[in-house]
Amino acid sequence: MRILLILILLLPGCSGSINTPVSYFNVETPRPFGYVIGDEIPQRIIIETRSGISLQASSLPAKGQINRWLNLNQVTIKQSGQRYQIDLRYQVFYAPPTVKALTLPGFTVQFNQGENKPEEKMLSQSIPAWSFTLSPLRELVVRQTEQGEYLRPDSPPQLLENTQAWYGLSASLTVTVLTAAYLSFLYGFFPKLLRRTLFKQALRKLAGLSKTDMEQVLSIVHYALNTLNGQPLFYNQLSDFYQRNPQYRQISAKLEWFFNYSNRYFFSAGMITVTPDLQQIKDLCEQCRKIERGSL
Amino acid sequence: MIRRIRHITLWAVLLVGLLTILYSVESLYSTHHDNQLIQQLTTGQDVVVNQVITGKPELRLARAFYFKQKHRYEEALSTLSLIMDKGDKAFQAKARYNLGNLYLEQALQQVKTMNMNAALPLLGLAKQAYRQSLALDSSNWDSKYNLEVAMRLLPEMDSIIMPDDDGPINQKSQLWTTVPGFPRGLP
Repeated sequence: MRILLILILLLPGCSGSINTPVSYFNVETPRPFGYVIGDEIPQRIIIETRSGISLQASSLPAKGQINRWLNLNQVTIKQSGQRYQIDLRYQVFYAPPTVKALTLPGFTVQFNQGENKPEEKMLSQSIPAWSFTLSPLRELVVRQTEQGEYLRPDSPPQLLENTQAWYGLSASLTVTVLTAAYLSFLYGFFPKLLRRTLFKQALRKLAGLSKTDMEQVLSIVHYALNTLNGQPLFYNQLSDFYQRNPQYRQISAKLEWFFNYSNRYFFSAGMITVTPDLQQIKDLCEQCRKIERGSL
Repeated sequence: MIRRIRHITLWAVLLVGLLTILYSVESLYSTHHDNQLIQQLTTGQDVVVNQVITGKPELRLARAFYFKQKHRYEEALSTLSLIMDKGDKAFQAKARYNLGNLYLEQALQQVKTMNMNAALPLLGLAKQAYRQSLALDSSNWDSKYNLEVAMRLLPEMDSIIMPDDDGPINQKSQLWTTVPGFPRGLP
């Protein structure tokens, strides 16, 4: 009997209805003074609901004209879990002759509890009205000009912006000039520039070759020297080559060795290639690269 | 194959670059020309109508500005009405502010000649234009000031009673007059 009595007492506590649907509620408003006609007044309402309770967005005031002097320009709701941030932006259109206290009207926010049945009581939270003062912009006795009442003048048309067009022109000019230059290089319009990379290209090709590819190694170096000379270069033409390219005279010994070695390789039978020979050719190429680069 | 693709791509980039250069140069020339027309109109010289009709909305705004300076209100109104929904928010706010000025200036002229029947609708239109302008750009002080001028001339009829104000018994004697006019101070 005693247990039954306790159960009866606990029964109302187990019911689904909650009298306070909101666990946290705050209205953030700016300063309540110093506004003039046409000013926008933001109002932020923070609501944290209990679990299972959600805000009914349609209960918020609708965007548009609230009354003859007050507009609601913006209504934004941000939800994160059970927390709702409601941002309202009002605009005042009232011309007081002196400083006047006005009020943003209060309203009631309603909540849904799970799947609300029509007969269930709607949960709600009232948002209080907020008072502020509005000041006039002009004196009571009107200032006069030669034309009559003093008015602010028309807004003159601004000149058109051309910054975007300048940016576009600069960017397109840069891209076009660079592309044209690269294409010219590829089509051989810069022979001097091409000459400056002859041994660089040769070194790149030599990098992957071994002593078994000696024929290819020699051909690569011959090709670079021929291109630099403008015609095929042979041992007996070296003195002419030095006259045209005096900077190569400093490695004449190595060049002569290279031509002798090449002659022996191509025209003597039974020559055995060794790794130091390959290294010596690579060194020669490296020296030539330094000369063409201007660092030797 | 890759070399061929690279060449085709390079030529395509060059072509696109050249076309963009042409477009940018044309755009710069057109902007320069329009700016010259705007400067001409704001300094009180008219321009050929065709150049305005085919031009940007800013040109029409400049022409409306010119008409207003010359007190050719009807032409200014028809020019402004064509650009109300053109341009960005700042431009629309400016066009509406100038439209409000156009109505308000005409209303003031009607008030001066005591033609109240003509002044009242013009004042209503001016207030509407200023309100729309402020809704688009609430930082325009000129618009706020002129709206207050218009509202003083033709106050709203809703009286706002605050708890601190006197009760509604005394309200009858404090209602705004609907006849446009400003308090002129002491005699």
